[in-house]
Formats: sequence, C-alpha cells, structure tokens
Amino acid sequence: MEQGALAAAISPDLITVHPAERDRYSQDMSFVNPVRPASVVRPKTAADIQRIVKFANQTGTPLVPVSSGPPHFRGDTVPSVGGAVIVDVSGMKKILLVDRKRRVAMCEPGVTFAELIPEVEKVGLRLNMPLLPRSSKSVVGSLLEREPVIMPKYQWDISDPLACAEIFFGTGDEFRTGQAAGPGSIAEQWAVGAVQKAPYGPGTASLHRLIQGAQGTMGIVTWVSMRCEILPSLEEPFVIGSSQLDALLQMAYWLIRLRSVNECFILNNTNLAAIFAKERPPRFQSLKASLPTWTLFYAVAGYEYLPEERVSSHMKDITEIAQRLGLEAEKAVGEVSAHEILKAVQRPSSNPYWKLRPSGACQDTFYLTLREKLAVQIDAMNVLAEKAGYPASQMGVYIQPVVQGTSYHCEYNLFYDPQNRRELNRVKELSTLAVRELMAKGAFFSRPYGESKGMILNRDAATLSTLSKLKKIFDPNNVMNPGKVCF
Amino acid sequence: MALSKDIYSAFEDVVGPEYICNDPVIMPSYHGTEFAAIVLPKDTAEVQAIVKLCNKYKLPFRPVCTGWTGKFSKGTLYLDLRRMNRIIEINETNMYAVVEPYVISAQLQAELMKRGLHLNVKGAGSNCSAMLRGHGHLDQTTSGDDRNHLAIEWVTPAGDIVRSGSLGSSDEWFCGDGPGPSLRSILTSAVPPGVTPGVFTKAALKIYHWPGPSRFPVEGISPKYYLSEIPPNFMARYFSFPSVEKMWEAEIKIGESEIAFELMGFNVAMVAANITTSNEEEEQTFQRLSKEVQGPGFFIILAGNSAADFAYKKRVLEQIIGEAGGRSLASVEDPRTEGILLCQCIRISASIRETFRPGGAFSSIPVMGQRDLTIQWAIGAGQAKEPLIEKGLIVDDGGAFFGWGVEQGHLGKTEIFCKYDPQNPEAKKAVEDWHNAQSARAFQERYFALLAGPNEEIGRGLSNYHLWWNKIQQALDPNGVSAGAGALV
Repeated sequence: MEQGALAAAISPDLITVHPAERDRYSQDMSFVNPVRPASVVRPKTAADIQRIVKFANQTGTPLVPVSSGPPHFRGDTVPSVGGAVIVDVSGMKKILLVDRKRRVAMCEPGVTFAELIPEVEKVGLRLNMPLLPRSSKSVVGSLLEREPVIMPKYQWDISDPLACAEIFFGTGDEFRTGQAAGPGSIAEQWAVGAVQKAPYGPGTASLHRLIQGAQGTMGIVTWVSMRCEILPSLEEPFVIGSSQLDALLQMAYWLIRLRSVNECFILNNTNLAAIFAKERPPRFQSLKASLPTWTLFYAVAGYEYLPEERVSSHMKDITEIAQRLGLEAEKAVGEVSAHEILKAVQRPSSNPYWKLRPSGACQDTFYLTLREKLAVQIDAMNVLAEKAGYPASQMGVYIQPVVQGTSYHCEYNLFYDPQNRRELNRVKELSTLAVRELMAKGAFFSRPYGESKGMILNRDAATLSTLSKLKKIFDPNNVMNPGKVCF
Repeated sequence: MALSKDIYSAFEDVVGPEYICNDPVIMPSYHGTEFAAIVLPKDTAEVQAIVKLCNKYKLPFRPVCTGWTGKFSKGTLYLDLRRMNRIIEINETNMYAVVEPYVISAQLQAELMKRGLHLNVKGAGSNCSAMLRGHGHLDQTTSGDDRNHLAIEWVTPAGDIVRSGSLGSSDEWFCGDGPGPSLRSILTSAVPPGVTPGVFTKAALKIYHWPGPSRFPVEGISPKYYLSEIPPNFMARYFSFPSVEKMWEAEIKIGESEIAFELMGFNVAMVAANITTSNEEEEQTFQRLSKEVQGPGFFIILAGNSAADFAYKKRVLEQIIGEAGGRSLASVEDPRTEGILLCQCIRISASIRETFRPGGAFSSIPVMGQRDLTIQWAIGAGQAKEPLIEKGLIVDDGGAFFGWGVEQGHLGKTEIFCKYDPQNPEAKKAVEDWHNAQSARAFQERYFALLAGPNEEIGRGLSNYHLWWNKIQQALDPNGVSAGAGALV
C-alpha cells in the first residue's frame, strides 16, 4: 500500500506508521497469529471514515476496525492479512443523545461503559450491560459483538439493547438502520421529536442484525443508539449458593419467566473469587474456599410507584418458588455479599480487569445452549480440562440466561500465566479441543472467533453460502477485515 | 396462463393429483387472479421440490397461508400452505414453540394456555398464522414485529433450504442468529408487503408466561358470549383522559412500572364495536360511550402472578390514572362487558368487528416504532378524516386513531383507518385520497415513511434501502421467480 496515497485521502495527522504503534495492533491476548498492520489511522469524524473506506476500495487495502482500547482478547482486531490499515475509532467519544422519556442513548464508538453510565444515570436511566466489561471496552463494540447482558428480562431480542446504527458499508456507502434511516437527517428527525429507537427496517431487511456479529467485516459503524432501562429507586439483591447447578437453573428459569428480577446470572466459585479477590494468593484461595460451587445472583427492583410494595410482592412470590425447589435466598455467600455483587456488576470491572487478576491472562470459550444441555456440557469441559492437564477447579464458569430465558450463554474462563509457555500451550490446545467436543454435545457457537471459526462455520454450509452472497453486496472488494468470520 | 400438460404433470409428481388444481372454476375462489395453478405442499421437501421446478420453468410463485391479504400477478403459481399446520414443538423449558406456517394463533395459544404459556397474537386476528410477523394487542408484554422469531427454516427462492442460527449448526431452534452475522437481517421485517422472498416452512417463536386459566369460562350463545367469572387476579378497564398528552403520560408510566399485561389504545368506537353484535347496536353504543368519555383513552388488562402482585399492580394503576386525570368507563366495569372484552382481547378475536362489519371495507395506515411520534402524526390524520365523516363517506368513529405500547412502552404502534362501503366509488376515492395525503405528510414532515408509496422517492429518503434490498433479492432469486415476495399473511 502506498502510504502517500492514504495521506492524500485523509489528514496525515490521523495516520501513524511508527513501528511501536503498529506492533500494538499486531497481536492480542488470543491465540491468533500476529500480523503487523501497515499503518494505523485514527479518524475523528464519519467523513474521515468514509474517505478511508473509499480509499481502501480504490487500492484494495484491508481495513481492520477497532473501537475498544487494549487489551483485546478475541483476535478480531488483529489483521488476518498483511498490508492492513487499522482504523482505530476509539477516539470518537461523543455522547450524542440521552433521552429519559424515550429511554434511549446514542454514542460514538469510542465511548466506554465507564463514560456512558454516569451520563445516562444523570437522567435516571441505566444500561443493560455485559458482565463486568473491562474499563477500556467500547459500548458500541459490545453491542456489535452481541455480548450477553446481565438483565435477561429486558433482552427481548438477541440484538438488544442495540437500537439503530450508522455504518459505512464496505462499498463506502452510508446507511442508517431502523428508525434512524429516515426520512430526513438525524437533526431533522430530532427536530420533529423523533429519536433513533425502533430497530427494525427500513423495509424488509433489518440490517442492524447483519452488522452485529460481523466483526467489522461489513463496514465501520460511526454511532449507535441503544435502549436504556429505568434506574430503580429500590433494589434488593440476593444470592443462592448450591452444589447443584440444576436447581439453580430451575430457579433462574422461574425468575425470568415471571419477570420478577432484573440482574440474573450464575457464576462458579472460581469466577466469583476472581471478581472479588483483589490480591492473589492468598486472598483468592481463601475467598474461593468460602464460596459454594455455584452461586445464582439476582436483584429485585422497585421503580417510581410503590417500590417497597413491588419488591415485597416479588420477594414473596420468589420465596415460594425457592421453597418448592428446596433453595434458600440469602444476602451473602461465603465472604461475598449480594450487595457487593450488585454494585460491582453495575459498573465496568475495576483495574486490573477481573479476568486478568487470577493469573495474568485468560482465554474464554463461550457458546449458546439449551438449559437441559448445560450440565452435560460442563461435565464434558471438566473432563477435557483435566485430560489437558488444566485443573478443572481453576476454570471459571459463567452462565447467563439470554433473550428472556430462551437460551443460555455458557462461558468458560481459562485463567493462565502468559509467561509460562507450558501453561499457555495447554490452554491453547484445550480451547480448540473444547470447541469440537462441545459442538458435539449441542453447543452453538454463535460468535465464532479465532482459530476455531472454520470448525464452527463449516457445519452450516447453507448459512455460509447465504452470508457470502450478502458479503458480496455490502463489501464486494472484501476490504473489511478480510479473514474474519467466513470471509 | 394455464400450465402446459408437461409442467402441470411435473408439479403433480411432487404433491400428487389430489393436491394440485388448475380448474378455472375452483381457482377464482382463492383470489380474483388468473393463477397458473394452485398447489398444496405437505412439507418442506415438497416446498423445495416445487420451488426448484419454478426455477426450472421460470414460473413465478407465491406462498400463502391464512390468506388475509395479497395481490398476485397473473400466471403465478399459488402455494397454498394449509396442509403445513403442525405444531412441531412446545419447549416450555426454553420458552419457545416451533410451528409450520398454517398453525394459527388460536390453535397454538390454546395449546400454550394449557401449559401456563401464551404468545404474541397479531392484531389481524387469532385466525392468522402464528408465525406471521407483526403487531397485536398483547405487544405490551409479548413484543412484536420481527422480534419474536428465533430460528427459521427457509426455502430460498432458488430452492435451497437454509436453517438459520442454532438450527443450521446444532439442529436446535433456540437461536436464529449466527454463527457470525445474523440471517434474521433478511428473514424478518415489518408487516407485509415488504417480506422476504422464498418460503418460511417452520419457525421458532418466543413464548411467554400466562398467569390465567387454561381456558376461559365462556358461557352464552353466539353472538352473546360472556364469562361466568373474571379469572382470579385479572382486571380489565377502559380509561379516558382529558387530552392525548395525558393519555400518553399515563401510558408511559404504566410501561415503566411494568404493571400492564395488555395495554390497547382502543378508541371508544372500537370499544363499541367489540361489545355489540350488530351495526345498529354499535352505532347507538358509540354515541352513548362518546358522551361518557372525556377524551382519548386506552383499554388495559392487569394480570397478577399472585394476589400480592395483582394488588400491587392495581394500586399503581390507580395512582397513575389519578395523576393523569383519567376516568374509568363505567360500561366496561360491568363484569359481563369486562369479561368478554378480557377474553376477546387476549384470544384476539376483535379485529373483524372493528374493521369490516360497519362498512364492508377499511383502509388503514399502521405505523410501528416510536409511539409518541406516531401519535403526533395521527392527530392530524384523524382531523383529516372529519370532512369525510361529515359527508357520510366513511363510518363515524370520531376521527379517532388507536395504538399501544410495545415491550412495556419501549416501542409502540399507532394505526388509523377509515371504514367505508367499497361499492361506493366516491367513498373509495375519498379514502384513497386521504390515505395518500396522510402518507405524504408523514414523509414530508419527517415522522416516518410508508413503504407502499413511490419507492424511489421514499427509498432515497431512507438510506437508499430499496437499492440494497433489490440487490439482495437479485442475489437470492436469480431467476426472479419470487419477485412478488413470500407473504405469509
């Protein structure tokens, strides 16, 4: 690629070719092969982005969009091919709209959870967040990755809480999804009282679903809007600890089915200790030893009207369910209180990122599944881990009911010391083996990253073929993050 | 436009002689179009074989299930999906049901209610396909539009079978998205006419908790039905408000408080339609109710998961209604009226009375999305109905519109229609003019765009969506056999 040609397309101030800068983007904490990009551009505006995409089409230059700050974990921001330009939009940090009445916020891709949360809270709103994202995580990045959120009751559709988005497709054409499409510019829409809330359309297609899960292979997003929820006026968090996962899953099922709770998820003792132990060892080990194998966490909330009465009526109903299942809700498990969990999960992770605290690095394996398959899959993962020489007891497990309980996100967090080559290789091997073994047991890897993506995608030739047709329409020259997903 | 003997015979080989017809006497009973033939496939394999033949012979096809609406080009092969009427699975553990296209909502809802579950039933009525995308009275707690679909089995216009999401990868129906970008981006949409080409042969739908009885205690003789009792922890009321603003304020508070099982923004004309059994009775009732209400209003159903939950919801409702200056319509408090409205508006048997009975036809502008915005527009559209009412060209409904909150007020739906006599050319023309003028105003004033209008202008105003969609259609349907799109109404 001609560096001068890129500089002619956009302001040279936005481009860097310094080797150290390029090295920063050449690898991440996943196991994908390092590839050094040719340069890094940091656009400031949508117009910059459009110029970059047009330039890429003219010159056949691969573009790799990046919205979050480091560390990265999934390999999707590491170029798969040489000569790529990193398009780092993390500097685009405008919060464009927060509307209390319509329960919606809108921001550029560089805005992190830590930056957006206080702004929406000012007007009495909250975000439906993923579990403890790292402090550098972009809100837009999280939404585009279809990350699971911790309040399944408010996740009506897997695309939630994403509402609308503006994107420059791989062709360089601007497109706004859903209600934002028009008529009129965004300013004209605001003038008439319209906000960018309804996600579907325009027309038959709902293209926000195409850019989600695409890992930047369809285009570059310049802003998104998202639905927000009301900030409760009263919250009562609870935990139920048990060695019996199935009982906790049944409990979670009823809590979500009856819409009694907001936050609702299950963690094993390794993950709960990793979140709350600030030092390791001995604090991590002693905290973990105090915890039950599994902990179900949930929070009951009251809003503007009669909050105490709402919480009390829900608690009464929940107590009956718990009794039927032989469980007891409590205010703490071991040395961790329900209140601490609630406060923690309503913010991004403190630094260092909780997944890095136990050993310095972490490899995640995650998928969607049915409730009744979880136990078998977790058993299989434990056996695989032990076989690979990774103590199953050190593995973190996070179970998140999603889309109002229609499926379950199951995530294994393999903590390891990145300086220990043997340990690193063990985790690398285990994570590849796990994908194959878990797929055979019904796991659906809806978000395929890294080296296992081929194994995942090859199972569904018909979907692959249809996706390829769509890719040719929206990115005919394959300039957008080539080598990722199935493109 | 009849098929040649050889081609007819090829389709006959697929479905058998009993399930294909080109009889010029029978075919017009479907629609007033000269079809190539009617075929009735029994399953996905037969649908695929038919679509492959359509590609071979370059024959356009249209799949139709419950058939409420539809426009067809001459020479189209009509796929009548009525034999594909099986409920494949009700998965209570993971809250979804899998159905074929001709499973109607009434059928699925009846099965679900036995299990303490229910679904989003589209406003078109419980006699329509359960897998139809769209909106309905229950949207407040059961979502709507394209948001209840999980995995979908789809025969593409080229005759390939695509099984979206988890179905394609792990043979389970729980997720319609991925791996990677979601094919639901092109498999779902707003209501027809904008629909995906090809044929949806099965779909998984989200289902929801039902706190009521396994069946309603209906008594009486048609058309005078009533409930022998109001189910425990249920209540139905109609509230009117001093202004639209106050009504919306209450609607939003109810959504945020998460207390309504159903919130249906009926106007009083629709209440009158639902509680009467003839046009004469309806007109009298409308006049009477119009005097009882203070302004616009909505119908609401509360349903508690327990007595405590129900009591809490009632108290919150009283407070919200009080603050907004709302007033309960006494007629609906009568348990006989309350009961039958409760039943009709959950089983969704109301639409026909509201739309067809008074005039024989209706012309509607339904808008999905941001409720307050569409209300703003609908006020003007309602005022524009008044001259037509004065001239007696449309049925007098006070110029009202209706609508409701979706997903506890996050989204919304607003609709306005004119009921008229289709045999009266002056009325028909006036309604068409009203429809065109109000659609154009919505676009020009930046409220929203109706996609049935002139595509170029609207397309340009909506991120050129039409150009992208044309490219998608061409890629999926290289022989142009599904150009009329695969409406599953």
